[in-house]
Amino acid sequence: MTYCDDINHLELVFVIVNFGTGSKIIKQARKSGIKGGTIFLGKGTSENHILELLGISDIRKEVVLLVGDRETAYNALEDLNDKFNFHKPNHGIAFTIPVDSLIGSGYNITFENRNIEGGEEIMYNAIFVVVDRGLAEDVVDAAKSAGAKGATIINARGSGIHETQKLFAMEIEPEKEIVLILTDSSITGDVTKAINEKMELSKPGHGIMFVLDVNKTYGIRE
Amino acid sequence: MIREKFKEALSAVLPITLIVIVLNFTITPLDSHYFLRFLIGAAAIIIGLTIFLFGVEIGITPIGSLMGKSLARSNKFWFVAIATLILGFLISVAEPDLHILAGQVETVTSGAIGKFGIVTVVSVGVGLMISAGLLRILFNIPLHKFLTVSYFIILGLGIFTSPEFLAIAFDSSGATTGALTVPFMLALALGVSSMKKDGQDSENDSFGLVGIASAGAIMAVMVMSILSKSDRVTGSLEQEMSTSTSIIAPFVRQIPKIAFEIIIALSPIIVLFFVFQFISFRLTKKQLRKIVMGIIYTFLGLTIFLTGVNAGFMEVGALVGYKVAALGKPWLVILVGFILGLVTILAEPAVHVLTNQIEDVTSGYIKRTAVFLFLSIGVGTAVALSMIRIIVPGLQLWHCLLPGYIAAIAMAQFAPTLFVGIAFDSGGVASGPMTATFILAFAQGAAEFIPHADVLVDGFGVIAMVAMTPLIALQILGFIFSSKSHKEGIA
Repeated sequence: MTYCDDINHLELVFVIVNFGTGSKIIKQARKSGIKGGTIFLGKGTSENHILELLGISDIRKEVVLLVGDRETAYNALEDLNDKFNFHKPNHGIAFTIPVDSLIGSGYNITFENRNIEGGEEIMYNAIFVVVDRGLAEDVVDAAKSAGAKGATIINARGSGIHETQKLFAMEIEPEKEIVLILTDSSITGDVTKAINEKMELSKPGHGIMFVLDVNKTYGIRE
Repeated sequence: MIREKFKEALSAVLPITLIVIVLNFTITPLDSHYFLRFLIGAAAIIIGLTIFLFGVEIGITPIGSLMGKSLARSNKFWFVAIATLILGFLISVAEPDLHILAGQVETVTSGAIGKFGIVTVVSVGVGLMISAGLLRILFNIPLHKFLTVSYFIILGLGIFTSPEFLAIAFDSSGATTGALTVPFMLALALGVSSMKKDGQDSENDSFGLVGIASAGAIMAVMVMSILSKSDRVTGSLEQEMSTSTSIIAPFVRQIPKIAFEIIIALSPIIVLFFVFQFISFRLTKKQLRKIVMGIIYTFLGLTIFLTGVNAGFMEVGALVGYKVAALGKPWLVILVGFILGLVTILAEPAVHVLTNQIEDVTSGYIKRTAVFLFLSIGVGTAVALSMIRIIVPGLQLWHCLLPGYIAAIAMAQFAPTLFVGIAFDSGGVASGPMTATFILAFAQGAAEFIPHADVLVDGFGVIAMVAMTPLIALQILGFIFSSKSHKEGIA
């Protein structure tokens, strides 16, 4: 494994909490050294059968994505757990996923194409790109030009290092779009390179991109 | 979800309740049976609002956005144009507030303009504008241009309209955008615009339809007043004031009447839903059941809510207005009006539907507290201005409306598109059942005591003010947001 050395072990922290708590999570994570975060909305259901019968079991949730090097991420998660008590019921959940490469937010760890040698080698990658609202189409175009088959766009909000404006006591978190692209790991390098070139992610304030390993996929057409 | 919605309803209704309690123990003591009715009304409003809000979320909103989507998917210009015209006409015809307004107009014109006529004309106006407003989204015509043209037409028509009818025309915009039609229109626009590929466009176009529909109602009444040449208002309105000291009876009396009105208002939505379900939705049984539950909740919630408002709040509003005016301190009337405006808007049901949709569409970028803050200040100012208008004899409605709308349209040219849509929608949203009863009653109560004030003319027009100020307030919020959202430290 040469593509990431020890200092560059990166983690993606996933936090799922009740609606309205997402901004507080990012604020707290910032104190622990995470540079920014992205929030999108989700829906959860409670296990209460009576509520389900009445058709009112949905709960609005917020999903928070935070990326950082392993040490910072784990520290941040520890601090978040102290403050938000994820171990108690109905206080939300959090988990981390290792990240292969990260561009933007002060990092520039690029992804190289991988040749599949043994059966153990990871075959696919999930590329996450977070850009300002309205720019997702450009990301998709760039990805397709480099051979990606398709992409999914998720509406989100979030803030990076350059965006911490305040309106009274509220922090304004600008609107973002998350683009999720699944690629064969033999072309992941090309796709990320094409996106990086088009969106200029290495320049500050232009967005962030990270790549996760995926072992199995269904539904991706060759 | 119940807890979430209950909290929302509680924080919406508590402020106004507390203010009235404070007024009761300080400057305007109320008879105990009015006060108790008010408290029961407040409790009913909290419960009703809770049920209504999740009813809308699982019933009305999905219906509206599904309809919007399947209309847009048809990809046939004439089909969309005619279907939305019929849709808009039907939901407007069924709106109870419009019938009340039309009844009042019939009375004050001594029958020169019939109730049936005004309901039909306004509904055609609303239908036409909803149709045009949805086609605007499909053909990518910028919202601010569309609104500018609409309001120039209104300005042109307004020159030929008498002051009395000017007030009625602007009030009718509030009357057509009631607690049921607003969530439906919002969802309709959301459904159509969510089909757009570009995320920014799709978001911007999710708002503005309610504002466009309001403009349709205003134009319709103006055209009607010009054509019928009946520009003089002669009759007078009698205010119903119950003399009974019973606490429960007024609530019981209201329930069947309100329940019937809401069934009428809901019926076009329900009928259209089943027609669409048969033709194009084809929802699964589980989805269908959820939506039907949503409709039932909407009905129950709104019935409880409106019963609380009509039986508990209306008379208290009028009494507080009268008693504050009787103290003989004009500045006090204006101040109390401002404070009541601040807190009343929070309890307006459609406002919560709008703020929820804003949070959903922008993924939480625009926080509801910010919208509430600016809306509150806007409506507070509107009520205060209305009070000044009642107290100062020479000041007429158009002295406030004309500069207000000019400012709103001027701002629309520069404000972020998203906020232009939200602002014009919130104008219609703000003039809902809560303002139409409590604030209107307060203004009429005050007008009754002030000798030169005309209960009718000054009463009409309050809603028009409440519908106008949010346009300015929320566009100011837009300017603040856009100036604060830029990035620092990069070229």
